[in-house]
Amino acid sequence: MIFVGKEYTDLGLSPEEMQGRMEKWFAWGSKMENAGILRGGEALTPQIRRVVGKNRTVTDLTSAEVKEIVGGFYLVEAEDFDTVQEIAQDFPDYDLGNTVEIREIMVFDR
Amino acid sequence: MEHKLVDHLFRHHSGKMVSVLIRIFGLQHLDIIEDAVQDTFIKASLSWRKQQPEYPEAWLTKAAKNRVLDIFRTLKTQKKHYSTITTGTDAIAINELFLDTEIEDAQLRMIFTACHLQLDPRDRISFALKTVSGFSTKEIASALLAKEDTVKKRLMRARKAIKKSDIQFNIPKGKALPERLESVMEVLYLIFNEGFHSNNKEQLIREDLCGEAMRLCQLLLKRKDTRSPETYALFALMCFHSARLETKVGVNNEILGLKQQDRSLWHFPLIELGNNTMHKAVETESFSCYHYEAAIAAEHLRAKTFEDTNWNKILKWYEALDQLQPMSSHQLTMAVICLQKEDYDGAKDHLKKINPEDFEQRKYLYYATKADYYFNIKMLEKALTNIDIAIENVTNNLERDYLLKKKTKWLNNTSN
Repeated sequence: MIFVGKEYTDLGLSPEEMQGRMEKWFAWGSKMENAGILRGGEALTPQIRRVVGKNRTVTDLTSAEVKEIVGGFYLVEAEDFDTVQEIAQDFPDYDLGNTVEIREIMVFDR
Repeated sequence: MEHKLVDHLFRHHSGKMVSVLIRIFGLQHLDIIEDAVQDTFIKASLSWRKQQPEYPEAWLTKAAKNRVLDIFRTLKTQKKHYSTITTGTDAIAINELFLDTEIEDAQLRMIFTACHLQLDPRDRISFALKTVSGFSTKEIASALLAKEDTVKKRLMRARKAIKKSDIQFNIPKGKALPERLESVMEVLYLIFNEGFHSNNKEQLIREDLCGEAMRLCQLLLKRKDTRSPETYALFALMCFHSARLETKVGVNNEILGLKQQDRSLWHFPLIELGNNTMHKAVETESFSCYHYEAAIAAEHLRAKTFEDTNWNKILKWYEALDQLQPMSSHQLTMAVICLQKEDYDGAKDHLKKINPEDFEQRKYLYYATKADYYFNIKMLEKALTNIDIAIENVTNNLERDYLLKKKTKWLNNTSN
């Protein structure tokens, strides 16, 4: 599951609101952990270094300068897309207009 | 893993961090410090998802401190004039400032700064809620029923005033202290009232405001130079009111008057704390407004049932209060009490002395009382006219329901 959308930094959340959101993330994380499906995950900082094109043009950006940013991801083990879609119901930041993208890791035959 | 954090940890820690960091780096860096604290919480909310630190508070403190030092380092390389900040031996002194007692001292300095007389009285509350209590602009706006832009302007004005008057980050001494202490108490009183009597639709924000005011008042009581009979009385008043806070709203989220509140649910430990505090408060010759208000609140709590309420005594306290500080709201309350005692002439006298515009947003209270008066003297038509004005002007949904219910009852009563 890849999380895309607005960064907390750019929303002017109060400490109280941030704690509230964090606790929802805790709850979600624990739920997946207890179900034994969590395989990993990372949160990403809002700094972006972008290298583009054949000239390898380099730009440094912050989350405020882009419309949407990948904020992090969770790696879970599941039967299929539908199962993960069910898990993604608890993602805490839908109300901010943020998105969960579900992608499957490609498994290559040996 | 156990993921439960202390309630309001971030909010309370935000105020602590801002205060301590200002103590270290100076009030002139308020903006940088607030940003650094904000960054710290964002960092925490992201990195704690994976693993929560064993000591969250210590983690936050350390992270905020490092973040400020980082920022200063960057600024130092950009501009020369931050050269006063060093990181060597000063770091040891800095660590001392993160002891609990020092944190409390820093928070008190912050409150006294926010309540400096050079700041416009209306700006003080916003600024205090922001810096001492870690409320966001949006939360302050919602708590004070003001527009977000207004709050932003107030905060900016406060900052400007601090810069312009070169306000010092300390608790004043000598002659300056009583005056400033008075301003601090007034701000705490207003924050508390905003929570307790609030027109706010959200119960949660109301409890937060009351809690903040009490927490800060307790800080005043801990120090010898900032506690006085008046501060004790203020705290007692807050205890007495808070004891009833939960019973003010019924199961259907409707507002309950003193008459309907379930007295068995009043929070006894708070009443007891209020009583003990009151004993200390009365060790003085001259009583303040807080003394009288606390006495009134205590009198309400003393009555086992609404019918047992000693209205004569309460009326006496109100008269004393009004003499000390004449206000339309006291007149209104006295009118309500007269209605309780079925002294309708008395009620009329008090109502006559009132200018409804004094109540601004709360003028519905005046019309609701006037409606009650007319209903009691059996002038239903006038009662209905007044309750309609009240309903038109009310800002709180709970209060509106309460008034509508009353109106329906009156209409039904007469048709039977």
